[in-house]
Amino acid sequence: MSRQCENAMRSHTLTFHHDGSRPSGARCGVSAILLAVRNLLRVLALAAGASILASQAVGQEAPPVEPAPQQAPAPAPSPSGPVIVLDPAHGGTDTGARGEGGMVEKDIVLQIARTVRAELDRQGFRVLMTRNDDSNLSYDDRAAVANAYRDAIFISLHVSSTGTVGTVRAYYDQFDTPIPPGVVTASAQPKSPQTAGLTAWEDAQRPYAGASHRLADLVQIEVAERFSGSPDTSAGAAVRALRSVAAPAIAIELSSVAAPNLNSLTGSAAPLAGAIERAIAASRASSSGAR
Amino acid sequence: MARKWKIAIGILAVAVLIGLISLRSLHRRMVRLAETQAAEERARHEVLAAPISTPTDVTAKARIFWAAGPDQIAPVEIELPLSADPVQRSRQLLHALIVSPPTPGQRTIPADTELLAFYILPDGTAVADFSDALSTETPSGILSEEMAVNSIAGTLASNVPGLRRLKILIHGQEVETLAGNVDLTGFFDLNSAPQQASAAAR
Repeated sequence: MSRQCENAMRSHTLTFHHDGSRPSGARCGVSAILLAVRNLLRVLALAAGASILASQAVGQEAPPVEPAPQQAPAPAPSPSGPVIVLDPAHGGTDTGARGEGGMVEKDIVLQIARTVRAELDRQGFRVLMTRNDDSNLSYDDRAAVANAYRDAIFISLHVSSTGTVGTVRAYYDQFDTPIPPGVVTASAQPKSPQTAGLTAWEDAQRPYAGASHRLADLVQIEVAERFSGSPDTSAGAAVRALRSVAAPAIAIELSSVAAPNLNSLTGSAAPLAGAIERAIAASRASSSGAR
Repeated sequence: MARKWKIAIGILAVAVLIGLISLRSLHRRMVRLAETQAAEERARHEVLAAPISTPTDVTAKARIFWAAGPDQIAPVEIELPLSADPVQRSRQLLHALIVSPPTPGQRTIPADTELLAFYILPDGTAVADFSDALSTETPSGILSEEMAVNSIAGTLASNVPGLRRLKILIHGQEVETLAGNVDLTGFFDLNSAPQQASAAAR
């Protein structure tokens, strides 16, 4: 390749004539193409490297879903109180409730959970989330996050399709089937599932039914003060997300995806966090008082 | 006042007048459309799911649980031909629950739902097998799903003596949830089902 041609290419002055002919002969033209291909490959390599770095940075901001109990680290003593497991319902292909304006439950509850987590973090609680992205975990995987800890509280967050807009309901799991022999009843209330022997995974919530009911009542009292029109008492329902949780577990459902805009729902997160914080504090106080 | 302003105000006044007139006719059309929808829904069900009649039918008052507002259900007394046989009686009641809500807003079960089968086991367990529409068309949410289940349970508990609990199947299969939230793998206790004057959807 002539020096003139090389210099021209380095200085990006190599141009094609309108008629398609090259400026300085065929050899220079072939070399120019090779150099252009090399430069293109370099640019692509740089771009790929940059995208990998960017994805790693994003990954740090939005960590993956909390590990299942098998992979979870051994639970450390919790001098600062229980581990609060926030469960944004649905996710992935399971959108949950859908509003006419395009709002979907899975996205709204994720936003609300992130805000509630930040608020509770600020108050000194240890908070985990079952999902922090658009993944669709099974009910058992969600329960497993809470079941990895001895002292956990599980809160499943929902937005309804129906109901008076702006109201909030707290639910505890209501078992309707007769209690099979060998399963500990709610009145027995063991301190942990291990002390009562083996409990079937699908009945893991049963020993905590009383504690969950009390927590739901306390949360409902708090949300009734903050969200006008909400009922005064919590409700029992066969909520699938709660059934396998071996800890006090409740579901909180905001009404509804028919809200006029997204902000009116996501704006509920801060008062909701306040209600949860006060209810947990009251629950802990009553538990320690009872002892 | 300049002539052009007078013309502009005149055009504006005419536009407002036309708007008001068309608004009234639009409202009338909306009311007519709602009535037509309800009538169409009734007609469709008359074709798809014919009323169940048995030789022992006696017209009696039945308490059917429909929605009473956005977040609760309440019984409505209607006269129905009801069989002495508890299985046929239950089918007649659930048919009425699906087909005959007084207004579309009181519906708790999707209009396209069909009761495919109904059994009563010797221990008082009622097994109701519904078509896929119950699962796919019930709005997702704890509240809406609870209202659907409670309306079924309350209607059966209020009108069919001897039933103890309810199992809901979808197209002959046990499914995990109704529409993503309420657990259908267990039984619903009919002794604690809403039977009184008004029942909030738990």
